[in-house]
Parts: sequence; structure tokens; C-alpha cells
Amino acid sequence: MDKFRLLFQHFQSSSESVMNGICLLLAAVTVKLYSSFDFNCPCLERYNALYGLGLLLTPPLALFLCGLLANRQSVVMVEEWRRPVGHRRKDPGIIRYICSSVLQRALAAPLVWILLALLDGKCFVCAFSSSVDPEKFLDFANMTPSQVQLFLAKVPCKEDELVRDNPARKAVSRYLRCLSQAIGWSITLLLIMAAFLARCLRPCFDQTVLLQRRYWSNYVDLEQKLFDETCCEHARDFAHRCVLHFFASMQREMRARELRQDTAGRDPEPPEGPEASDGPDGGSGKAHLQAISSREQVDRLLNTWYSSKPPLNVASSPGLWGGGLSHRAATVAPGTRLSQHTDV
Amino acid sequence: MDKFRMIFQFLQSNQESFMNGICGIMALASAQMYSAFDFNCPCLPGYNAAYSAGILLAPPLVLFLLGLVMNNNVSMLAEEWKRPPGRRAKDPAVLRYMFCSMAQRALIAPVVWVAVTLLDGKCFLCAFCTAVPVAALGNGSLAPGLTPQELARLLARVPCPEIYDGDWLLAREVAVRYLRCISQALGWSFVLLTTLLAFVVRSVRPCFTQVAFLKSKYWSHYIDIERKLFDETCTEHAKAFAKVCIQQFFEAMNQDLELGHAHGVLATATAAPAATDNAGEEREKLHGIMDQGSVNRLLTSWHECKPPLRLGQEEPLMGNGWAGGGPRPPRKEVATYFSKVHCDI
Repeated sequence: MDKFRLLFQHFQSSSESVMNGICLLLAAVTVKLYSSFDFNCPCLERYNALYGLGLLLTPPLALFLCGLLANRQSVVMVEEWRRPVGHRRKDPGIIRYICSSVLQRALAAPLVWILLALLDGKCFVCAFSSSVDPEKFLDFANMTPSQVQLFLAKVPCKEDELVRDNPARKAVSRYLRCLSQAIGWSITLLLIMAAFLARCLRPCFDQTVLLQRRYWSNYVDLEQKLFDETCCEHARDFAHRCVLHFFASMQREMRARELRQDTAGRDPEPPEGPEASDGPDGGSGKAHLQAISSREQVDRLLNTWYSSKPPLNVASSPGLWGGGLSHRAATVAPGTRLSQHTDV
Repeated sequence: MDKFRMIFQFLQSNQESFMNGICGIMALASAQMYSAFDFNCPCLPGYNAAYSAGILLAPPLVLFLLGLVMNNNVSMLAEEWKRPPGRRAKDPAVLRYMFCSMAQRALIAPVVWVAVTLLDGKCFLCAFCTAVPVAALGNGSLAPGLTPQELARLLARVPCPEIYDGDWLLAREVAVRYLRCISQALGWSFVLLTTLLAFVVRSVRPCFTQVAFLKSKYWSHYIDIERKLFDETCTEHAKAFAKVCIQQFFEAMNQDLELGHAHGVLATATAAPAATDNAGEEREKLHGIMDQGSVNRLLTSWHECKPPLRLGQEEPLMGNGWAGGGPRPPRKEVATYFSKVHCDI
């Protein structure tokens, strides 16, 4: 268990590590899925290609979509893309950076499936057995073309009576498997070479722009997470106060009823409600959360967060954002005059 | 479990140790991959050699490039190579050291693959089955009766037991044993050669340039650690920035609402000290970089004009950061990384 905790902590250390971890997990799941899948070629002329190619391409598509779903950053990217400008300019470079990082990670599992399928060969043999050129194999010299086609369609099925223990079937099957493996290795080589060149050559172009985009995309992600946490805290605070307020008002009501019933002129006891409800609140020190205290205000806060994000300048005090948050003009805060660095 | 944790921490301590771990894993993975891979000789005259050459050479190339890609030092090397000198000169010896260390580690998995392939023998058998000396090993007298193409087609099927039909000419077992034996001899020679080479390089190197080697190793580790720490500091800064930004947003909403509804009850005056305590802590983490322009400027100057490798002094504009020298102004015990960028961007 300690082992897993260590690994878990290592992967949680940054959001990039988390995404790498998910990517690896998905790749491992793909390998397991492929090895446990029971391949079942139909061995019928027109259906072979459909089955073979379908199995080669459909699971990768599903895995790609899974990879996109599992990645938080895809949602972050779409949100950043669609938000209104508000007080904060949008930088298309950041959106492109997040998009490329999401796509790279989501493509890992589909590629693992395709490579496994090609290196294994069954899909390829099933899909292309009918398209083999019979001239290459001397065993077909004394068969009619239709017989040849029927035979070729049955090549993927070792146990079929027509082709069982037939050396021609083995020769064709070998040939196709070898071709499939060659294609698989070539694709692997190409991909890895592309990844290597991308990694090597990236610092040669626009390294400063890359550093800036990496920082700001990380910032956008962190800000979203922190905002969600702050809202949770606020909701808890709000609920706490609501409940206390309710108890206090019940207490007041009961006291008021007692006073009405008791006409013997007892001194009315000072209502303890407000102090009791203020007690737990006053000590928390999170006054900025207590300001928002009604449903309409919360709705308004969330609406403003979406439609008009605050500018990236915490040096000035909040009131100076061009006349408050209700002002929707796209005012640029004073600190952003050197913004030309992020324009690509 | 403690042992495991210690090993894990040790391997993570710097990039080189981490790469040693990855290198070991890849070597094991390479051997495992070979045993899981289903070698499938085509048993056709033209295709055998191509397939075998492909299997002998393509996976090692893939493993080598994978070893380089997984090594973060590759992008570090490229960055260090392409960056402008700024206030810190570039040392080609450090770059050479980084490249050699990366290449050495990345070569281990391909060597394991080639060795395992040769020792197993299937690949060699597939490639050279048509070159077997039939006259010496089989019924040489029957060979001239066949055309070269027929002979080639016959011999090409030696690796495939289920379709071989040339037992009358050459017993399959004999050919297989002959070729496997040559393959294993080659495999062991290869292993011996590579280990000998590695041993010679390792033992002989300290006889030459040991001092330069130590310096390069130190500065290469330094660059790696500095880069990691910079990334961590940037992440912390982004976190603090986001916290302060969100806090200010909530406060602004509060003020907005007060102006709008004149609620007055909420004592923002008393709340302000409590809020600024938290905010003050977060603001300190910002090191004075508090807006988008400053952050961008900081990141630009980190790449274009790295600070000199000298703490606590105001550096003159000339002179590089690697060598010492020049008159020394009185020291100030403060690291000058974030403030006062002197060079022109």
C-alpha cells in the first residue's frame, strides 16, 4: 500500500503529472483490453475487410474520446475559448498550447491499440487476405479464380475445413503478418522520430513565447481549481450561517411565545440570537466570503466570474477596475502595458 | 517499504539518477518486448532478408530515440545550446558532457535488443537461410538439378517448419543448427565487445581530463536542478497569484454590493486587517511580480538573459558568469535573480 501511496503522491505533485499518470493508465488499460479481446474474423468475402478495418479503427476512436474526457484540461480549454473578454484579454496562443498538450496525451492510447493490432497481425490478415495477389504463391496455380477467392477469404480461420493444415494458407498468412509487422514498426519509427525532432527543435523557435504560454496555461488551470475550492468554502460558510440563523430565529420565536404566555411581568431577556450567530462567524477571518449572503448575490457573483473575469493585476486595489465589476467595458488594467510580449 | 521509498527518493534526486532508473526499466522492457514479439519470417526469397534486417535494426532505433525522448535533458540540452548568452556564457564542455551522458544511457536498451536477437537466432536464421552451403551440409549432388530461383525458394522456407518441403536436399534441423550456432557466436562476440568498450571507456577516462569532467558534471547537474526549481517557483507563484486574484474578486463584489445596496452592516473596516493578514502572506510569495506584464517580462529575461552564476553581487555588464575576475564591489547578501534586469530585451 505504501508503494501505491508513494506513486500516487508523485503523480499528484503537479497537474501535468496527474495527466501523465492518467495517460499511462489509459495505455495500460488499452494493452489489457487488446490482450483480453477475443478476435473473431468472419471469414466471409465482403465482411472480412469491414471487420478487420473496423476493429483496427473503431476502438482507437473510442479511446481517443475517452482520453479527451478523462483530461480536465480539455474543459478548461473550452471554457477559456468561449468566455467573454471582460477585463482580461484572451490569448489564442494559450488556447493552442493547451489544445496541443491535450491532444498529445489523448492520442497515446489509440496509438498503442493500433500498434499492438499491427504487430500482432490478426486484424491485418483478416482485412486483407482477400486482396492478396495469388501469383505470388505457386500453390494457387491449379485453382479457378472463384475457388482462389473463397480460399483466400478463409485464410484467417485456421480451423476451417477448407484450409486446415494447408501450406498455402500458412504461406499467405505468414506473408500478410510479416507485412503487418513491417507497417507497425515503420509507423512506430516515424512517430518516435517525430516526437524526438519536436522535442529537440522546440527550443530553437520561440522559447520565450513557449515559457509564457506554459506559465499562463498553468495559471488558468490553477485559478479554475482555486475558484472552485473558494466557492465550496463559501457554500459551507453560507450553509453554516443559514443553519445557525435558523436555529437562532427558532429560539427567538419560542422565547417570544413564552413571553406572550407568561404575563407575570418577568423581565424580557435580551435576545441572544444575533450574538450567538455572530460568534462563530466573527472569528473566522474570512470576511470576503461573508459579504455574499443571499442567493441572488451568489448568482450574481458566478455570473460576473464568467462574463467578466478580473484583470491579471493584483498590485492595484480591487475598486479600480474601471468603475467596479458591474462595468462591462474591456478596460485594460495599468500593469498590462507590456502585453506585446504575449501577442504572437 | 522503507527500502523502496529510499530507492524511489534516490532515483528522483536528480535527472541522472532518474534516467539510470528509466534506462534499467527500458532494458528490461526491451528483453520482455522481444520475448512477447511473435517473430514471423515470411519464408519468401526476396522478403526474408528485408524482414530480418528490419527486425534487427528498427526496434533498436525506436528504443534509442525513445530513450532520448524520455530524457528531459534533451530539451534542456537544446535550450542551453540555443539560448542567448545574456549574462551567463555558454560552456561547450557542459553541452558535450550532457550529450554523451544522454547517448550512453539511451544506447543500453538497443544493445540489449540486438544481443537478445542474435542469441536467440531466429532473425539470423531467417536472413541467411538462402546462403547455407548446401554442398557441405546436405545432399550436394542433387543441388545442380535445381535452378537458382527454385533453390532459393526452397531454402527460404527453412525457418518455417510447417511449409518446408526440402528434406530430400537438406535436413532442416541441420541448417537450423548451423545458422543458430553462428548467430549465437556473433551474439556473444557482440556482448563481449560492448562490455569491453564500456569498461575501457570507464576506466581510461579518469586518466585524462578528470578535472574538466568533474566541472562539467557539476554544472550539468546545476542547470538541471535550476531548471526544475524555476518551474516549481513559477507554479507556486501562479498559485499565489490566483489566490490573491480570487480574493480581490470576492472583495470587489463585496464593495460593489455595498455601494449598490448600502448594507453598511458588514464591517469591512474591521474585516480588512483580517483579510490582509491572509492576503499579505500570499502577496509575499509573489516576490513583487504582480501583473501580467511583469510575469511576461520575467519569463522573457529568464530565457534571453540568464543571471550570472554569482550570488550577492551587482554584476558589471561585461564579463561572463562562468569565469571570475574584475574588481569586486562590496557584497550584498541577496540573490539578484528577480529584480533589476540590466540587459536589453
